[in-house]
Amino acid sequence: MEVDRADGRTRNQLRSLACTRGTLNRAHGSATWSQGETKVFAAVFGPKAGMKKNENPEKACIEVIWKPKTGQIGKPEKEYEMILKTTLQSICLLTVNPNTTTSIIVQVVNDDGALLPCAINAACAALVDAGIPLKHLAVAICCCLADGGYVILDPCKLEEQRTKAFAYLVFPNSLASVRRKGLLQVEVEPVEHGIITSVTRGVMPVEDYLRCLERGRAVSAKLSEFLRRSMQLQAPSESPTAVFETHS
Amino acid sequence: MEAKPLDSPTNFVNQLVVPGDVVLDLSTMANQTIKLGGGLRQDCDSITVMKAGKLRFTKPNKYWVESSQKRYVPCVGDTVLGIVVDTRADNFLVDIKGPALAFLPVLSFEGGTRRNIPKFEVGTLLYVRVVKANTGINPELSCTDASGKAAEFGLLKDGYMFESSTGLSRMLLSSPACPVLEALGKKLSFETAVGLNGRVWVNATSPSTIVLVSNAIMNSESLSAVQQKIMVDRLLQRVQ
Repeated sequence: MEVDRADGRTRNQLRSLACTRGTLNRAHGSATWSQGETKVFAAVFGPKAGMKKNENPEKACIEVIWKPKTGQIGKPEKEYEMILKTTLQSICLLTVNPNTTTSIIVQVVNDDGALLPCAINAACAALVDAGIPLKHLAVAICCCLADGGYVILDPCKLEEQRTKAFAYLVFPNSLASVRRKGLLQVEVEPVEHGIITSVTRGVMPVEDYLRCLERGRAVSAKLSEFLRRSMQLQAPSESPTAVFETHS
Repeated sequence: MEAKPLDSPTNFVNQLVVPGDVVLDLSTMANQTIKLGGGLRQDCDSITVMKAGKLRFTKPNKYWVESSQKRYVPCVGDTVLGIVVDTRADNFLVDIKGPALAFLPVLSFEGGTRRNIPKFEVGTLLYVRVVKANTGINPELSCTDASGKAAEFGLLKDGYMFESSTGLSRMLLSSPACPVLEALGKKLSFETAVGLNGRVWVNATSPSTIVLVSNAIMNSESLSAVQQKIMVDRLLQRVQ
């Protein structure tokens, strides 16, 4: 594999991951997620009684507030909020607490590429910390097209700015199951082979997009493993940091 | 990546489970009644996990996920500490840190009639019991036990209330006595009321005792029994 990325990583190598849960005292659930230099805080408040207008009272309502590192809130922040809201709505079990609102606040601490996937990972960890009922977890990854036409994962800011196109992909986590694999006739594809969200920027050929999907899915298994381990290390009222270096 | 065993089914009891994990396959257990507690839901033929935590099992057939959160999920029969937020004609609206406000009927006190309705101001702390708790409707509370006697329920006067996680509340209420309360009780005299919704109330004759007991309880969440005893001994030594 050619090693021609600025920080010496290979194509499929992620930056070092760190996840801490329970960082904020007042929030009902909170998490910090960092990938290399990109760092995001997420806080969850809820579920609280009451709904916004025009929302379905038979389901819980999820509200996302995106706070950038500097500057005023504008259209890019609103777009991130909308993407986060639809992604998190699809992993939460909305019928468990009808007529309630859960607020998720995402604060960007540092942006060094792959900001939205980092935020989605942080928000998912914060939802788990708050005890919101979820169908499964979500792991997010950014894949971009390098100059040579191959796919590189988890770009830093410089790589993201120079690339022709990139895709943010969100997959369900790999599930542990008591079912014996291979003995049951699986007619429907298992949940973990699905995809939750895909946001693309730029122009890329279809084959390259499919290659991004395949790479992203392969790495999502590693990310789920990291997420599961970071929950194992969690003791109540302590917030140990789980750090994971991935090499592939 | 770890290899999942293909020949024997993995048993998740007493292990960490994450939302989405399938912990029971009902197609392999026919004609059995299984009771599901918090954190688990039934999805056609499989029992999946909703909240991250440790899966627990007691014989003969109860499964639940043990986790500690800052918010509370109302369950029938729990004793909780509620704060009055509003008064209506026939209910007090009480906040119990759950997804919805709870109703406390004005007549559910010992010897309660329309003539002697208690006057609770907004912000009053009450020790109450959950009578009804279903998803989608406001839980109902009561200040009497099942037979209609007062049994320590009602207004908590003076003292100091602080918030904790639901896991700490369960530990404080576990029997035999929680190590930190036992160690404190040997040297100090105080009274506590623990709500399963993550609220603890402490009262003693002197404020310094209240502060000491509250700090000891707040620090004891992540400590083992021996560490709790050592922590309490150190605190008491510093005071005396």
